[in-house]
Parts: sequence; C-alpha cells; structure tokens
Amino acid sequence: MKHLIIVVLLYVLIPWFSVSGETPETMIKYTINGRVTDKSNGEGLIGASLYIKELNTGTTSDNYGRYSITIPEGQYTLVITYVGFLPIKKEVSLHADTRLTFEMEPRSELLKEIEVTSERQDKNIMAPEMGTFKMNIETIEKIPALMGEVDVIKAIQLLPGVQSVSEGSSGFSVRGGAPDQNLILLDDAPVYNASHLLGFFSVFNNDAIKDVKLYKGDIPANYGGRLSSVLDIHMNEGNDKEYEVNGGIGIISSRLTIEGPIVKDKASFIVSGRRTYADLFLGLSSDKALRNNQLYFYDFNAKVNYEINDNNHVYLSGYFGRDVFKNKFAGFKWGNETATLRWTHLFTKKIFANFTFLYSYYLYNLGTPDGNTTSFVWNSGLQDIGVKGDISYYLNTNNTIRFGIVSTHHSFNPGDAHGTGSSTYFQDYLVPKNYALESAVYLCNEQKIGNSLTVNYGLRFSLFQSLGPTTVYHYNENHVETDSTLYKSWTIYKTYSGLEPRLSAVYVLSERSSVKASYTRTLQYLQLAQNSTAGTPLDFWFPASPNVYPQVGDQVSAGYFRNFKKNTIETSVELYYKWMNDVIDFKDHAQLLLNKQLEGELRVGKAWSYGAEFLVRLNEKRLSGWISYTYSRTFRNIPEINNGNTYPAPYDKPNNIAIVANYQLLKRLDLSANWVYATGMAVTFPTGRAIIGGKVIPIYSDRNAYRYQDYHRLDLSVTWSGKKKPGKKFNWDLNFSVYNVYARHNTWTINFSQDNLDPNITIAERTYLFGVIPSLTFNFHF
Amino acid sequence: MNNKIKAAALLLMTLPVAFSCTEKVTIKVGATYTRLVVDGHIATDLTAYDITLTKTADYFYNAPSPKVVNATVEISDGSNTYLLQETSPGNSGIYRTDPSFYGVPGKTYTLMVHLPEAIAGITDYSSSCELVHVARLDSTKAVFHSDFGQKGAWEIRCYAKDPGNEVNYYMFNLYRNGKLLTDSIQKLRVSDDQLFNGSYFDGGVMYLRGDNPDETLTVGDTITLVMSGITKEYNNFIQQCQAAGFNIPFFTGPPANIKGNISNEAIGFFAAYSNSRASAIVK
Repeated sequence: MKHLIIVVLLYVLIPWFSVSGETPETMIKYTINGRVTDKSNGEGLIGASLYIKELNTGTTSDNYGRYSITIPEGQYTLVITYVGFLPIKKEVSLHADTRLTFEMEPRSELLKEIEVTSERQDKNIMAPEMGTFKMNIETIEKIPALMGEVDVIKAIQLLPGVQSVSEGSSGFSVRGGAPDQNLILLDDAPVYNASHLLGFFSVFNNDAIKDVKLYKGDIPANYGGRLSSVLDIHMNEGNDKEYEVNGGIGIISSRLTIEGPIVKDKASFIVSGRRTYADLFLGLSSDKALRNNQLYFYDFNAKVNYEINDNNHVYLSGYFGRDVFKNKFAGFKWGNETATLRWTHLFTKKIFANFTFLYSYYLYNLGTPDGNTTSFVWNSGLQDIGVKGDISYYLNTNNTIRFGIVSTHHSFNPGDAHGTGSSTYFQDYLVPKNYALESAVYLCNEQKIGNSLTVNYGLRFSLFQSLGPTTVYHYNENHVETDSTLYKSWTIYKTYSGLEPRLSAVYVLSERSSVKASYTRTLQYLQLAQNSTAGTPLDFWFPASPNVYPQVGDQVSAGYFRNFKKNTIETSVELYYKWMNDVIDFKDHAQLLLNKQLEGELRVGKAWSYGAEFLVRLNEKRLSGWISYTYSRTFRNIPEINNGNTYPAPYDKPNNIAIVANYQLLKRLDLSANWVYATGMAVTFPTGRAIIGGKVIPIYSDRNAYRYQDYHRLDLSVTWSGKKKPGKKFNWDLNFSVYNVYARHNTWTINFSQDNLDPNITIAERTYLFGVIPSLTFNFHF
Repeated sequence: MNNKIKAAALLLMTLPVAFSCTEKVTIKVGATYTRLVVDGHIATDLTAYDITLTKTADYFYNAPSPKVVNATVEISDGSNTYLLQETSPGNSGIYRTDPSFYGVPGKTYTLMVHLPEAIAGITDYSSSCELVHVARLDSTKAVFHSDFGQKGAWEIRCYAKDPGNEVNYYMFNLYRNGKLLTDSIQKLRVSDDQLFNGSYFDGGVMYLRGDNPDETLTVGDTITLVMSGITKEYNNFIQQCQAAGFNIPFFTGPPANIKGNISNEAIGFFAAYSNSRASAIVK
C-alpha cells in the first residue's frame, strides 16, 4: 500500500499533458536535422549536445549521431559539444528546413594546450534521466585493470550503486539487484553471459566498443525485461575516411583491430579480435597435472555500415566468442554469438526510425574425451531471434515522442546429457527444451514544460507467451512433482502480460543545479538458475512458466545535482527505494543442473533495497576521476527460506567507496589509481557441529548472518605514450599496472575443515585469489 | 551419474583456484543450542550393528563430541522389537544389536531413543528407514591408470545390471585385504541411476590415488567392493555431509543444514540398506 501511494503521488504531482510551448503557434517553424560525427573517422557521436543560445533550448544526438530540432525562423547560434571533442559554434539563419552535419574534431594532445572552455557540459544537470552513467572509452582505458585487460564491466563496477558480485568477477549487482536482473545489450542484442575465463574478464573487447551507458534507476520505456539495470553497449562502426589499425600486446592476451572505408564517406568496416594465452603460464606450474591443461578464450567483433543516402543507413554487426578449458579427462567450452542487422531510416526530417533484426546465442558443453565407456557430453543453450522497430518523432522543441515494438523468440535448452563412448551404458538425460515469445510495445514522450521542468513519461506493455513443444511438470504444495503435461509445437500454454509505467522529471533550479525524480516499473520473464555467488558458465536461463511467475520490480528515486567551477566538478546525491515481487531463491541443497524438476527447487518471495549514492566527478584538464560513496541495503523475505525470516541478500554491502583518479603528470605520462572499499559479503557461518561418520558436520547460523572481512584494494597504473606529431601516423603507449598494490588478502571464500592430525579440531581457511599482480601492455595505433 | 558430470565440471572449474592462496583464519562465531546426534545403520549382513549417540557442540569445540550415555535404544521392524545394549554401560554412548541381527529387504525399520536426561527439552526421538533391495554385483576389477595424477590412480570397476523399472540409489564401500578403506563418510561413494537406468553398468565407481599409501593397491591385494541399495534420503544425506563446510563461490550454493531423518530436530541419520559384494585379486 505504501508503495502504491508513492507511485500515485508521483503521477499526480507531475502534470501529464500540460499544454506546451511558449512560442506563438502562428510563427513559422523550420527543422534542422542531420548528424554529428567524429571528423577523424566519420562515426556518429552518441549523445552530443546541440544548444541554441538564443532560445536556451537544445537537443542531443541519438545512438547513430542523428538529431532533429524544430524552431521558429530566425537567426541563431548553434553550439555543439561532446566530451573529448572541440566544440563547434555555428551561426545559422533559418528560413527553410535545413540539413546540417557537424564533424567534430577530437581534442588531441596538441590541442589540449589550447584553452578550451566548453560552454555546454552541464548535461548531467539538464537531462531528465537520472541513475544513468555514461562512460567514454578513454576513461575506461585509463582505469588500472586486472592483468592489463581493460574491461568495460570492471569500470562499471566502480560506479556508485554498482558492485562486483565476487572478487575479480565480471558479474555485477545494481542497487542490490541480482546479476541476472541486468540487461546487457551489445548493439541491441542481449548478451546472456558476459564473462570470459569464469568471470575474470568480460566479453567486451574495449577496442571494438564505442559507447557504454548504464541505466540503474530510471530505465526508459524502450528497454524492458530486467528489473535492475540496462547496460547498453554500442560497437564502433569503422572509419569511413581512412584505414586504421589498433592493437595491443599484453601478458595474457593480444588484440588487433582493423577498420577502414569500403566506399569513402559512405561505407566502412571494423574487425576486432582478441586471443588470450593464459594457459602458457600453466606450463610453468610445478604441478604436473596443471601443465597439460588448456585454458583460453578468443573473440571477434565485426561491423559494417553503409550510408545509402541521407535518409537511409544500414549496419550489420556481430560478436563471436568462445572459451575453451580442457585437460585429458574433461573439456569445457562456452561462448556467445550475437548479430544485429539494422536499417535506420528518416521518414521525414522529424521522424527517425530504426528497424532491427537481432540474434543471440549462448551455449556451453561439457564432456569427457570419446572412446571410454564412461564418455559423455552435456549441452545447454539459449537462442534468441528478435525483430524490433523504434521510432523517434521530434515533434517540436518541447516534445520528443518515441514509440516502438519488439518481439523475440527464445529457445531454451536447459541441458541434455548423453554418452558418447562406443559401448556406452549412459542413457540420454534430457531436461525438456522449451520456447517462448516475448513481446512489447512502448510509447513515451520527453516534454519540456516551461523553462525549468522536463518530464519524460512513458508506458510499456509487455507480453510473454510460453510456447510448446515441451513437457510441463506440475507440483504439489510441497514442491514435489505430481504429474506432467505434454504440449505440442506452437501451442501457447501460458501467457503473462503487464503494464510498465516509466516516469522521470528534472526541475532545473539554476544553471548549475537541478532536482530529479523518477519512478520505474519493470517486469522480468527470464532468470538465471544460479545459486552460487560468483556464477559460472554452467548457469542457465529459464523462463516464466505455469510454475514460475514473472518478477516485478518498482523503483522510486530522487536526486539533487549540482555542478561547480564551470561544470568541471559535477556532484550528485541520489536516493532510491526499490521493491520486487516474485523474486526467486532456491531451496536448501537445491539441485539446479540437469534437473527436470528444477521448478520444484524454486522458492519465491519478496526483496527490497534502498540506498543513497553520493558522487563527485572531476573533469579538470589534467586531473579527472570521481569519488563515490554508497550506503545501501538489500533484503529478501522468502517464506520457505531461513524459517521465513528476512535475510540480507548476498549483494547487501552497506558501505561502498570508489575513488578513481587519472592525473596527467607530463604530456606523455599519465598516472591512474583506483581504490575500492566495500563492507564484507554477507555469509552463513557454522555456529555448531556434530560428528557423523568421522566427519564434522556444521550446524549453520541464520542465512547470511555473518560477514567476511571488509574488502578493499588499491590499483595503480602508469601510461607512457609515444611522441605525437601532426601527420605522424604511428602512435603507441606502454601501460604498466599493478592490481592490489598493498597485497590485501581479500576473502574470496572461507572453507571449514578438520585438522589433518587431530580431526576433532575444526579450522577456518580463507582463500584469496590475487596477491599483487603487475602487468604490462603495449598498445599501438596507425 | 549426475555426480560424474558434476565432478568433471568441478575438476575444471577449480583449476583457476589452483593459483589462489589459502591461509588459516580465526573467526568468531556465536553459540547454538545443543541437539542430539544419531549415527548408525543396519544392513542385510548377519552381524552386530552400532548406533552412536552424541551431542552437538559449538563449532570450534575442538574435542570429541560429548557422549550420550544410559539411553534406551530400540529397533523395530514392525513385528519385532530389538533392544540395543550400550557397549560399556554408562560410558561409551555406543549401542549395539545382538550379533544375530540382520535386516530384511522390503521391511521398514524404526529406531527409538529414550534419553534419561532431556536435550533441548526433549527425551524421545525416533527415525524410520526402509531397507531397499540391491541388484546383484556380478564382479569387480581394479584397473591402473598411470596417467592420472602424479603417481597414477586405481579405478575400481563395478559390473552389475541396474533394474529398469525404478529409481535406484547406490552406495559403494571398498575393502583392501579385509580392511575397510572407505572408513569415513567422506570416502564413501554414492550414485543414482539417472543416466544408466536399466543398463548393464560396467564403469568405475571409485578412484584410489597411487601416491596415497593409505589407499593405493599393489598387485596381489584382494579387494572387496560392497554395493549397497540405499534410500534417496540417505543418498542425499551422504552427499550433503560430503559437501559440508566446502565452499567454492563458483559452484556451491548458500550453506544449509544437513537434512537427516531423526525426529525432534536431532541431527544425523539412521540408515537401513542391503549389501551385495564381489572380490577380486589385483593384477
């Protein structure tokens, strides 16, 4: 009830359809539209600001660099700004619809010395979106990285409200949500397992990535399907002006990226590949058994795009990655594949459309070498095929309407195992495959009301249909299977649907400060069968079904934003409260893998989290970075777990600090540091014991009643760059980084065991993964 | 056979952990209330069987569990009730059947415990377990693999036909020259027939490390493999005991108390099972 009141209040307080526009309607209006691109490679710039001084209004470019703004006829000064680029000022005398493409010049090392005052870097103040964080690739590259592998997801984990789920893991929790409540998109295709090497690295190759944006609170209506966050990643499009090669050689992997024009200024390509050679180090191991192991991953990103004409542009992009892990007795392979085909079309100067075809596949297989009677193989996978249409209508300076439709067909293979030996006695064990159609329509409007208020309101309607052929098991109140039903192909055997209102507003108090508020409802129809904290490639996704309700999440948040010193210091405070229904946990000793009756292992209840996030972000000429402090709590109450008592979720880490700094010591020498601190993870410890069959059997505390020691770590890096001269093509830099500088033994896990000499003595043993890890990476560009 | 797959997965996934470091730590944990612990079984062999009664202690108690003495312990098969005698009355906490005792497949056995002094306010406890039959173990064989581990490993093979019309759970014990090698719950092997239901099973059920003198075999040794038919609950209990205290963030879920079959929140298991055995000389 309490929640409902908050929601109702939010809706009442913000006028839904106020009449807008302070310019007399009789005035003749014209549209300026076009693209904002990077002059060096022709790629569209995402989220560049266009500001019209005389009207004190503006717009931002979309994901393809396109923009449209409709204003009365007249004489104007347009200012276009984008972080890391020189601003463009352009006088426009508007007497007809005009198409303008702005080619922005990157702020190079040489130009850095020129005093540049960017006039419009206060997007954080003006935009109605909150709980979002955009990172450019250069920022990410400067953050010291584990084994020198620059990683988008590791950078994301340094943001307020975002936490790593386990040491070194690329799994993350946003505002207390579970890792499977994050929607990770690569060029709009969902990535179901974003980790390599058991989570120590993410699947995203930094060289292939153009832009990263995380929505952790206010999720726009065009996204859906996960409760906690959206991580939207766009790949580079490829330089359409000249050929470029980027590469890097590191201690565990090497990278190479080639891009260039296919048709100058019209079509371009980019191909990027990565391969690790971590297993070379296994050969040095003193343990003979380890030496014969293979352990590596590789991935490719590729994209081509073709600008047919001013109104039509097509893009085709894909990702392919595999991890291989094998020795003499067993082999394990997993990976993702995604593909996106997109056609962007301008119906009119004010109506932009994107039509997208999506494909995503995640699979793994585990097996033993053929030829033995006990040889077997086990496969699991999830495939998505989807279509999407998104339309933006730049109605006038005060209203931007967006609407669209999306439909995705999911195929789930939770697991099938069968023998492969010549005289195998293994029988096939098939967990029934199942299928579903997940669709949604949405409509939203970003509306300016007066000079100070901007509201973005929208509604998403999502629909989830479970499709045959499959076998559905039925369970009694004790979660024991009673019988099952077989459904034929394409029978819709269960339908769920729901309305997901989204609302956010900004009220600008002054040029330097604003307050924002938002409310978001999200529905989640797919979840990960994951019971462990770190997560593994063996975790698989399973859908809503007659036995599993969709999870529903609501979040309200409010924030105050203020900039200082010509917008070089951004500060913000955000508060949130989130409540989730039908969240899933697993019963004690749950069996998730290869279990036909997995749904009998689920227990359903409520979860809620709240927190306050403080951020100071600095963007001086030589010093940049941020300091964030987060206080947050997250709890679950599931009637059949922990005797029905509320318990802290595994991601409940009340205090969290991240300090990220980059300092340009000399023109060619950059120093970077980050320090992170988090309250130790909530865990269950044994408080009593029994001895049975010679073994000490623990008797546990309440769920998550204890904590590991607090986590903290300092990383440093130094980057030394080659001399840059105009006209010189070859550039290089050398990065030396140290992970965990002061060798903190952060707990990865604590195991309890018996002393070898006196089995009556019980001991606790901490496992920590990383001591001090230095690494060296050489990067080049020509 | 799910276990086999799990074991393969575990083998692979623990590999990065091989590079990690461990250190002993001191952890302060609270205390918990005392419970009765029951540990014992009966089987189809004609012999005396022991039921041990102890009490739980704080986790870092670091001494043998306190014994529960002077209890009245009885086992009933539905028609007859057998009284167990404390091996050293008032002292051992171990209660023994008559040597003429043997279990009969198909019967359900009930253990009844009455304590002279209540534990956590309770004096009477009981437990029931069905004695399930087991298929005939045709033969066994030890096969040496020189390429497993540092000094090779012995694979103990089992040859038996699994009944196809039911779900079966197996437990394996091994004797070397008459001495039990699987002398703790950690060393037992259990399996369900999920992946070979109804088939003739001829695979390995146990591996003995060549570099461990306590378990390795030498040519000429006599091995005896005992295959027991156990209930699903006992199978789960053994698995949970074996996993207890062991936590790999990749693989293990939140720790949880082990589910036994004793009433009134007592810990432990009273098991009944049938045995089938085969011997072989190591070649």
